[in-house]
Amino acid sequence: MELTELIIWLLPLPPLLAFFLIVLFANRSNRASWMIGVGAAGLSFLGSMFVFFRALGADHFGEHPFTSQLAWLPLNGEAFKIGVLIDPLSAITLFFVAITVLMIFIYSVGYHNWGQPKGDHDQKGLPPHGATVEEHGHKHVVPSIEPMFARFFAFIGLFAFGMYTLVVSDNLLTLFVGWEIMGLCSYLLIGFWYGKPTARAAMIKAFMTTRVGDVFMLLGIALLYYFTGTLSFREILFNENVLHALSTHDSGVLGLSVAGLAGILLFIGTVGKSAQFPLHVWLPDAMEGPTPVSAMIHAATMVSAGVYMVIRMFPLLAAGMNHGHPTTPMVVLAVIGSITALFAATIALAQNDVKRVLAYSTISQLGFMVAALGIGAYVAAAFHLVTHAFFKALLFLGSGSVIHGMEHGVLHTGNHKVDPQDMFNMGGLKDKMPRTFWTFLIGGFALSGFPLLTAGFWSKDEILADAWAHNQAVFWVLAIAAFLTAFYTMRQITLTFLGKPRTKVAEHAHETSLWMTGPLMVLAVFAVGFGWLGIPEHFPGLGGLLPNWVHDFLAHGLPEWLYAEVPEFSWVPLITSLVVALGGLAAGYYVYRDVPSAEEDPAKKVLGPVHTLLENKYYFDELYDFLFVRPAKWFSEKFVFEGMDRKVIDGILHAVAQVSYWLGGIFRNYFDLPVVNKFIGDTLGAAVPQWFGAQIRKIQTGVVQTYMILAMVVAFGSLFIIMLTIR
Amino acid sequence: MIPLSWYLILAALLFGIGLFGVLARKNVIAILLSIELMLNAVNINLLAFWRYLTPEDIAGQIFTAMVFVVAAAEVAVGLALVISVWRRRTISSADELDLLKW
Amino acid sequence: MENSLLTIILFAPSIAAVATLLFPKDSTKTIRIWALVASLVPLVFALVAWFGFDGAAVDANGFKYVVNAPWYAEIGSYYHLGMDGLSLTMVLLTTLLTPLAILASFGIKENVRMYMALFLFLETGMLGVFLSLDLLLFFVFWEIGLVPMYFLINQWGSPKGERELWGGMKVSNRTYASFKFMIYTMAGSLGLLLAIQMLGVVFGKFDLTYIIQEWNAMSGETMILGGFTTVATAKTVAFWAFTIAFALKVPVWPFHTWLPDAHTEAPTAGSMILAGVLLKLGAFGFLRFVLPLYPEQAQAGANILAGLATAAIIFGAFAAYGQRDFKRLVAYSSVNHMGFVVLGIAAAAKAIGTESATIALNGAVLQMFNHGLSAAGMFFLVGVVYDRIHTRNLDEMGGYFPLVPVYGGILIFTSMASLGLPGLNGFVSEFLVVRGAWPIFTGWTALSMLGLLFTGAYILKGISKSLHGPLDETHSHHLTEINKREIAVIAPLMVLMLWLGVWPSWLLDVIDKAMMALQSAIG
Repeated sequence: MELTELIIWLLPLPPLLAFFLIVLFANRSNRASWMIGVGAAGLSFLGSMFVFFRALGADHFGEHPFTSQLAWLPLNGEAFKIGVLIDPLSAITLFFVAITVLMIFIYSVGYHNWGQPKGDHDQKGLPPHGATVEEHGHKHVVPSIEPMFARFFAFIGLFAFGMYTLVVSDNLLTLFVGWEIMGLCSYLLIGFWYGKPTARAAMIKAFMTTRVGDVFMLLGIALLYYFTGTLSFREILFNENVLHALSTHDSGVLGLSVAGLAGILLFIGTVGKSAQFPLHVWLPDAMEGPTPVSAMIHAATMVSAGVYMVIRMFPLLAAGMNHGHPTTPMVVLAVIGSITALFAATIALAQNDVKRVLAYSTISQLGFMVAALGIGAYVAAAFHLVTHAFFKALLFLGSGSVIHGMEHGVLHTGNHKVDPQDMFNMGGLKDKMPRTFWTFLIGGFALSGFPLLTAGFWSKDEILADAWAHNQAVFWVLAIAAFLTAFYTMRQITLTFLGKPRTKVAEHAHETSLWMTGPLMVLAVFAVGFGWLGIPEHFPGLGGLLPNWVHDFLAHGLPEWLYAEVPEFSWVPLITSLVVALGGLAAGYYVYRDVPSAEEDPAKKVLGPVHTLLENKYYFDELYDFLFVRPAKWFSEKFVFEGMDRKVIDGILHAVAQVSYWLGGIFRNYFDLPVVNKFIGDTLGAAVPQWFGAQIRKIQTGVVQTYMILAMVVAFGSLFIIMLTIR
Repeated sequence: MIPLSWYLILAALLFGIGLFGVLARKNVIAILLSIELMLNAVNINLLAFWRYLTPEDIAGQIFTAMVFVVAAAEVAVGLALVISVWRRRTISSADELDLLKW
Repeated sequence: MENSLLTIILFAPSIAAVATLLFPKDSTKTIRIWALVASLVPLVFALVAWFGFDGAAVDANGFKYVVNAPWYAEIGSYYHLGMDGLSLTMVLLTTLLTPLAILASFGIKENVRMYMALFLFLETGMLGVFLSLDLLLFFVFWEIGLVPMYFLINQWGSPKGERELWGGMKVSNRTYASFKFMIYTMAGSLGLLLAIQMLGVVFGKFDLTYIIQEWNAMSGETMILGGFTTVATAKTVAFWAFTIAFALKVPVWPFHTWLPDAHTEAPTAGSMILAGVLLKLGAFGFLRFVLPLYPEQAQAGANILAGLATAAIIFGAFAAYGQRDFKRLVAYSSVNHMGFVVLGIAAAAKAIGTESATIALNGAVLQMFNHGLSAAGMFFLVGVVYDRIHTRNLDEMGGYFPLVPVYGGILIFTSMASLGLPGLNGFVSEFLVVRGAWPIFTGWTALSMLGLLFTGAYILKGISKSLHGPLDETHSHHLTEINKREIAVIAPLMVLMLWLGVWPSWLLDVIDKAMMALQSAIG
């Protein structure tokens, strides 16, 4: 094993070790905990960068990726192998994961108020409420340190381990291991403040909703494993014979080929994990967790993992594609992705919580990627995955910074009724929190696809260009979604940062520490700069100035037959993306530049009942509660347990017991007592022998000689009879 | 030579006398004596059969010797019991010894 | 040594049990320590067997450490013990769980001497089932295991609660549960005993390996039992007799209702052993007896068995989700998890000799071991809380995490192992079962995913109602952190759960070889 492979093996380990170290030894020391946590993330970061740059330097990296395997399970006398694989896709994923994870770790130190005093009444399981300090003779309230500071670093360490495992996996099984470990961590982290009922509900919702996808994915994995005898990406996805066999073999389900069925089953896993329609409901609720968690889940790791997996399995999804005609799984992807992109964008329009807007925008952007993959735009999907990770991490961390600044205001004014997350309580934060403002602006513009400068523009433009070339219906849906994205992003920026403060709290908001703004600035650099690595060659003016590195690098990660030709340049998608981005931003600013309160939201007046529908997220939560949650509760408690087990099965058993009991009674009363006890017992058993004994007793004289005579008579008698019979 | 049957008839007579004695006499000591008679009848039989049928084998003599030993032991125990009963209840008539009844 | 090894493992606990009775009645402390030390003896010898396994001499049928001495030679029954990878795994599980269960029952106060003696005696019964290669001997041990467990539930079970039977007639819960457990298993044993007797009459001996060879070499048309019936008919009848006996023990839906009652009412350590080992006896019976003795019948009946297993998986999960009693929730989770074992066995029976069958069997055996660890752990943890707050009602609990963080972490860890989180043991075996059963019973396997989904639901329900949730004010002041002795009980289980989740090949290697041998023996 070479050094590079060894390092790849070791990449996930530092965060895992950090988890165990903190849980077992350092859980009482906040300082040791964050140092271990950040140190571990730093180590993995260094390792990832080493691997990434080795990958950049390797010749024909697509054909000869870094890979190494190890026998894991003995099955049927053969070894099932697991291993690591760094090919172009995982290299680029590793790159953004390493950066965002490290930034989030550093940010968390500040977010959880490292260096602040212990809270006055803080409890484990609830967010810190602030501490009173005496300075210069007068008391005032400052933020207090998170009561479960150490535990947080343990959990995100485990989370990072899951993500690294997933990225370096060379097979679906270990990918699934990382996938589920992240699921557990997201459960634990969303419910980090489990003292809040909403957080408790959200943690279960997140775990269960994603688990719906996971069980289907497990089936998909089992199916693939059965047909191919392996789960290794290289052996399935880069082997044309295997893919051909998979795509021609009928699975017997809905007329799908095995490849189609497996692809759709795996994709359902993504639907759960990446919160695609109709399993999107958990993600907005996941905002109950601390903000770094939202960034971890929504940007760097978990939701990216879902999209990463489908991008990874793209050759399988596309297996059997002839002449650009999309396969069934691809159609499914395109439809689900487009619906999600548009649908989530509309909900985001009517949300007032600063983090919820971002949550829905995440769902929407993930829909873009899935739709892109559905039309065969592999590179564009992966490209958007990377840029989205950067700017969405930036936005989430930025929103966390805003909330923190607002909480500062809450503590200062002592008015705890003001929700520090409601955008209508903000306004004018631009001057109070300049560093947060500028970085948030960059992130927001990247999300909206602000032309030429931002990374979001280049990746989204590529998706739109591919959509225009392959499927115009998808193109128009995505274009509308992109317009809405720009609109609600600008709405958010305007309400939060621009204008005048709407509350006293906002007036006393305060810029956060460098622990938090530092990572924002680093991420802002990538949110702008990374896009320049993927400028299409035929782009008017700019094309060719910089090599289209992203495309070159990523496209070679596909098997040869899937090399997608770059679509011919067309003005329609370019102008569309310019118009929707700039138009959306302008409209957003214009509409929301001077709105005093949530009641006077202009959208409410224009849209009327539709706005209520959007505000309530199309009533999906209520629908699912009605359709699934309550019936499940009723079914398990009343039907299965009380009805079937207790009433029917135990009822039958009790009936059998009762019949035996009754039969026993009958036997006793009508047989045992009269027949056995009375007749056999009393009569035959007692009276008859007594009479008989009285008769026999007479020959019992006690005189030996009488006995002997008797014996002689019997002996001679017997002898006589025997002699007679022998004759 | 005297035929075997003569010996057997003699033994049968002796055994019959002994048996009669055991069943009919009242005196316990007489009963014991009668038992001895029966044993000796058996002894005659054993010796006669040995001499006439299997002279090369000494089993008959050994059996007879065994019977002597057992008879001697039996008389010793029997007389001891009789004396013991006599001492306790001053009876020597078999009719009165009906303890087995209880 | 090699030849007496199994005898030592088997009878060391009984001897210790008898020795326990020699102690004075009141020397509770001494008795506890003695029982713990004595129960370590079989563990040590099981480890000796484990480490010497590869090098041990093997007999013609693939068994090691074989003992074969006349026991009841007149009727052809022999003291025939042997060990293969399957029984090695189970013996390891039994000998590991017994000391832990004894350590867990240090809190028992009434009649400790009898309790410990019964526990040790129980161990012999269980080990005997795993080690016997003679049908009659097997049956004796099968029944022996029942008796101590009956008394453990009946005498040391939870004292509270009554169950209404009919017409207002009530019995205390533990009487009800122990009686149900006893009667249910006895009912299954009847057919089993008759079937074993029939085999004994046909072959003149009870030796398992001999019967397997002869039996399967006979044509189905041959008349047996003096022309009374054909081999095929006899096999079918005997197959169902065996199957029902083992299905009751596993238990397979709908024969499962004794399980939640018995588990809930048993003392903590009793539940640990019940879930950890006794349930495995049924599954073990399928693998050791049903598959080799009746391959064709098993193939024919596999569909039914798989359907019932799926029902167990789904309804077990739902019923667990519908519980308010924490212990009963965990008890129903056993129905759910053991369903996967039976599904794997059914799949293997259907397609014996194929790759999928081997994988399904590997998964089933590994799941037996894994469930032994995680279910024992879960029952123990529920017992820890019950010891302190004296309620098992989830609605009355809540908010314990900040009060007992160490306990909370352990509970989450164990729950996750039970849920089948990848990286912990349950996942590997569940994945293997699903992989093995998928091509054979596609529909059933897909349906069973519903159960897997609800596994998540009930586990989370347990965690959120006890650890999270609003603070329970009435009981929480009784709650104290898990103590060192209790950590000593759960720690070995946790280590194994993690170890098997990350690196299962040390155990799976043994299982894999045994399962391949099992199938090649069938043909």
